[in-house]
Amino acid sequence: MKLVPASEFSFEQLVDAYNQTRVDYVVPMPMNVARLQEYTRVYDVNLSRSTVAMNGEVMLGLGMLGIRDGRTWITRLGVLPNGRRQGVGQAIMDELLEQSFALHTSTIWLEVIKGNTPAHKLFCKNGFTETRELIVARRAPNLKAEIPDDLRIKSVTPLDHEDALMLLSHRRKRPNWLNEIESFYHVKNLSALVVELIDGARGWVTYHAGLLQLTRVSVEVTVGDPAEVTAAVLHVLHQRHKRQDTITENLLDDAAWEGFKAAGYFEAFRRIEMKRPAPES
Amino acid sequence: MKTILQIEDNLANKLLIERVLEPHPYRLLHAADGETGVSLALEEKPDLILIDMGLPDIDGQTVVTLLKQIPDLENVPIVAVTAWPAETAEKMARQYGCDGCITKPIDVRQFPSQIAAFLGNE
Repeated sequence: MKLVPASEFSFEQLVDAYNQTRVDYVVPMPMNVARLQEYTRVYDVNLSRSTVAMNGEVMLGLGMLGIRDGRTWITRLGVLPNGRRQGVGQAIMDELLEQSFALHTSTIWLEVIKGNTPAHKLFCKNGFTETRELIVARRAPNLKAEIPDDLRIKSVTPLDHEDALMLLSHRRKRPNWLNEIESFYHVKNLSALVVELIDGARGWVTYHAGLLQLTRVSVEVTVGDPAEVTAAVLHVLHQRHKRQDTITENLLDDAAWEGFKAAGYFEAFRRIEMKRPAPES
Repeated sequence: MKTILQIEDNLANKLLIERVLEPHPYRLLHAADGETGVSLALEEKPDLILIDMGLPDIDGQTVVTLLKQIPDLENVPIVAVTAWPAETAEKMARQYGCDGCITKPIDVRQFPSQIAAFLGNE
């Protein structure tokens, strides 16, 4: 087996290999070239430091490495069916850790889908510990969505991309890698709504509105009950975007999640966020 | 002859369903991604749509959302065929207005009668 930088392969080859790693996965998540290109761009994946395990000309597995200031992120790690039970996963992990150490990173992050026991075991064996659970949630469109009668809204202020970034840079809780401000810097056409209620409660939502989907939904409550204000803000959002399907990734399992549920969101699956410190150099 | 559109990116799954339904008098159409699936649905107006929720270009859920908003297709039953755990699959199908769901791997003995039921043949 040899390890080759992922940058030596085309996106088509990487997508084909990645999709094969996920054929029998807990949560089916195939990609196409456009999706993988966006993924690498938005999440700062460095293909030169990502790796593909090969046996001759045959791909056995791959793993990718995101790099941000002082930290790295292991992602898309998977082994193709023809490479299983040969230590391929560990070899890829060793390489991604080595790459991280070479960058003098302080912390290495990753997520594993809850219920993917083999992957979780591999990560624990390599020194990763759990930090928290993250929720991937969806909301089906509702053409009849209206703001509930008992919701007393004082004002709704739409904001543009730059203002949305400003809001996102002032979140109180540490976001997961996917939702860090660095990710949003790579996203175009973000929007935001600042919602104020008559009782003085206040919150905002940032999001990306595509033709078919609302994505990158992020809510922050600045004044008031987290669940109630989150629900209020989301009701306002969905009353304005009735036709779009919504997906939001890696929500924290906190009081605000109750607000998401009240606004029609449901849990699709959970990820477990894990981290390990790099050895001191 | 009734027409079934299968929107499925996995070749093995596509072939399996084709083989299982081969003895039955259906016209089978196939799309390997969501965009092609929507186009084919509009062109062919099938009697039943089977959709994988994990598609490479657009999420299956989003495709269902779109199909459900097209007046010409509002009466076409859509069935999610998915590898999600059964409980999640059912919740997903219900929330997105699918007419049912079948979890993978399909039960090859049950599958034809499941399809017949969705087509109103039973």
